[in-house]
Amino acid sequence: MSCSSEDKNCETPRRNAALIVLVLMAVIFLVLSAFSFVDSRGQVTPDQISYKGFSADEGKRVFQAYNCMGCHTIVGNGAYLGPDLTKEYKHAGPAWLEAFLPSAGSWPTAAAVRTHLATPEQLALAEAASWDDYLAKYPGSGERIERRGGQPTHMPNLAFREGEVAKLIAFLKYTSAMDNEGWPPAILSGDLQRRLALAGGAQAAAPATSSAAAPGAAAPAVAADPVKQGEQLVASLGCVACHATDASRKVGPGWGGVYGHEVELADGSKVKADKDYLRDSILKPNAQVVAGFPAGVMPSYEGQLKDDELDAVVAYLASLSDKKEQP
Amino acid sequence: MKITYPSQRLSLRFFMLMLLLFGLQVAYGLLLAAQQADPTLLAGTLNFNVIRASHLTLGILWIVCGFVGATLFVAPLLARRDIAAPALVKLLFYALIAIVIWNVSTQVLSMRGEAGWWLDQPWLINGLEYLEGGRIFGFALLVGFILLAFIVLRTFPPVKQWNEVHWGLGLGISALVLVWIFGLFYVSRLDLQEYFRWYVVHYWVEGVWEVIHISLIGILIVLMFKASVRSVGFAVFWGITLVWLSGLIGNAHHYFWIGTPEFWQFWGSFFSAMEPVPLVFCFWHIYLDAHANKRPLENAPAFYFILGSTVLELVGAGILGFVMTFALTNAWSHGTWITAGHGHLALFGTFGMLGIGAAYWAVPAVRKAPDFDQRLGKLGFWFLFTGILGMALSFAFGGMVQAYVIRILGLEWVGGDVAPAMGVFKLTLPLFGFLFAAGAAIVIYDLATLGKPAPVPSEILPATGWRRPLSGFEAGIWLAFICLFGMVITFSLLAFNLPRVRVEGDPTLPYLLGGVGYLGLFGVTLGFVLRFTASLGARLRTPAPAAPTPDLSVAT
Repeated sequence: MSCSSEDKNCETPRRNAALIVLVLMAVIFLVLSAFSFVDSRGQVTPDQISYKGFSADEGKRVFQAYNCMGCHTIVGNGAYLGPDLTKEYKHAGPAWLEAFLPSAGSWPTAAAVRTHLATPEQLALAEAASWDDYLAKYPGSGERIERRGGQPTHMPNLAFREGEVAKLIAFLKYTSAMDNEGWPPAILSGDLQRRLALAGGAQAAAPATSSAAAPGAAAPAVAADPVKQGEQLVASLGCVACHATDASRKVGPGWGGVYGHEVELADGSKVKADKDYLRDSILKPNAQVVAGFPAGVMPSYEGQLKDDELDAVVAYLASLSDKKEQP
Repeated sequence: MKITYPSQRLSLRFFMLMLLLFGLQVAYGLLLAAQQADPTLLAGTLNFNVIRASHLTLGILWIVCGFVGATLFVAPLLARRDIAAPALVKLLFYALIAIVIWNVSTQVLSMRGEAGWWLDQPWLINGLEYLEGGRIFGFALLVGFILLAFIVLRTFPPVKQWNEVHWGLGLGISALVLVWIFGLFYVSRLDLQEYFRWYVVHYWVEGVWEVIHISLIGILIVLMFKASVRSVGFAVFWGITLVWLSGLIGNAHHYFWIGTPEFWQFWGSFFSAMEPVPLVFCFWHIYLDAHANKRPLENAPAFYFILGSTVLELVGAGILGFVMTFALTNAWSHGTWITAGHGHLALFGTFGMLGIGAAYWAVPAVRKAPDFDQRLGKLGFWFLFTGILGMALSFAFGGMVQAYVIRILGLEWVGGDVAPAMGVFKLTLPLFGFLFAAGAAIVIYDLATLGKPAPVPSEILPATGWRRPLSGFEAGIWLAFICLFGMVITFSLLAFNLPRVRVEGDPTLPYLLGGVGYLGLFGVTLGFVLRFTASLGARLRTPAPAAPTPDLSVAT
């Protein structure tokens, strides 16, 4: 080109042409943007999805309030500490999320998830016919229960208010239903055993840890002593995800020093924590909630425990009556 | 290196605030790296997301502080008069401190889920990446940006007398306000929310900060090397135009997987692949301007950081952005540490180093210490430069392992499967983080105490061998290698699509290409900056002929 950058006669038309192209690009961008959000595309919107009467929009507000994106990614955006949440609902299902979210510091056991699939309404909510159907429909739930149940997670416990867990599930149900153009990519590398072998080599050869592997519950046989049996039960049911065995607060009240003492309830009244109160609190947890703890967090264990098992759990709790602090 | 107008002194306090916030951000970053290695650390007291929110916001705020400082320093030179409203500048300074304290202290509310919803807006915290501050913070910052734009535009001469440099800085500062508005409303749809969130994040970085960056680099080059305003103006105009031509539709690389249509994959891949073009252009210009004359280098630390800024802009923003800009590579890098490597190198490299470089130019001038001891500044530069390269390398390698474990093997148990696989890189990250933090401490100490004249007459090294002048041909070879290794990294990400990786689960090819690509790229980057600074070594500290400060406001 004979035209130098110093020559205004050349440079000015060149610059004007560049600015015209720039305007053209802005127009293209805006037209494409308008086409991205038309209804006829069929992309799901938050007002179409609800869970337990809560809309996905309410869930999104909870999602922002806890800054979930500060540890997790959603549609791949956010922080890279925790897993991506976009397809979590599809992967693990509502019952698993119900069991996990209130006590996020610990992975739910099979029993903890089953308490959220005990009634026909709960099954209908999960669109599953039975427990086995649930495990088949949400493949991540079985894998997680099998490999991680009862173990600690790296997520801190968050003190969700009543309804916030259901709202979050509504939001995750919405993001699961979204069409993300095939992202994240489908997994084609074989079954779980093979994939684990590829990831870690030797560790996958060992059988997956059972959910009863929590400390103190290693013996598979049912103990004769009710206190020992109770201790095994609270581990396998996942109770210790929320309750400490001393007086400290986890998600719910600690058990240490409770039995036989007076506890203050949310309505201001006082009640003696005897055998009947503890039994009722396990079967109807929202009837007499301890002051300072939100209702609606603990699920009912009605139908989950046989009568003698319930007695064993209460006997175990009674054995902690003077255990104020961890040894 | 002395000030012409008294009001240029106003820049000093913003540089000092910048250093304070920089130090704070680095401290938060070290905590985050420690928590990545051990997630139980401070869990329940200061959760990861609280610290990360402050780490990101402080990153934005100290870079803005650097922009404000640099702008206040050069605005009088561009206007041939003092700053228009010095009282407003002081107000802006204290308001900025208040905003920082407010934001850092409100982020803990995310542990209790208190966003302060009122009128359908979250007023206390917003809980979205890069936009963690609630509406109170958002509106306060908006007012701050409006004040800044007002001060700059009032100081500038009438628009008819503007040259390209006025236009660049004026447009950039004004557009700060405009783009921030897109982050100030709640959007219910996730796809639409992400669409607008990238307006703020992408258009700030690619559309606005880049414009301010190009303009300020241009001005500093004029001041340092007495380059002609006309030639720099030419570079500023075409730099900005190319940035916008590629970056405007290039934003679409964020619209691949958020629930927007597939056609964005074409537009995003195509246009954002051209985003390195303006950066190559700027890279080339800094070579030309630095080597066009043989003037002695008066202020080595300032130039080192400006050079680092331009080089890392090309490598961190340009090349590392390019490798993940195609839908076929982005599907694997998206949502992993690979993007964090790009983010750290691009954001600190391009904008952070510019702020520090501008501070090294302005602080000695304001404090009347042209003969300041330059050794600490240079040392700090090398610590920061190698530290950030090492961190980016840890992120990149950790990210490749992460992508393999979570996207190819479909294992998402962070504690059980993902973190153990990434183990080594979760440890090298804080290791290089400490190197970086040491550099930050040196630079902060040096700039804060700079002023006591400690002239050390350094020997003038002979300009032979490694220190011989850098020829255009040689610079081109370095550049070619940077691009070559960028291509190798691109192929390593593309290799994730092969059946050998996806079906058979064999990661050898992506790992091998990634290892060669990243090590090669960062090695060449380090080598080039070493070579460039060595070639200027022969021009170091020779008594500079006294030259008047160039007139920046000339018509071009």
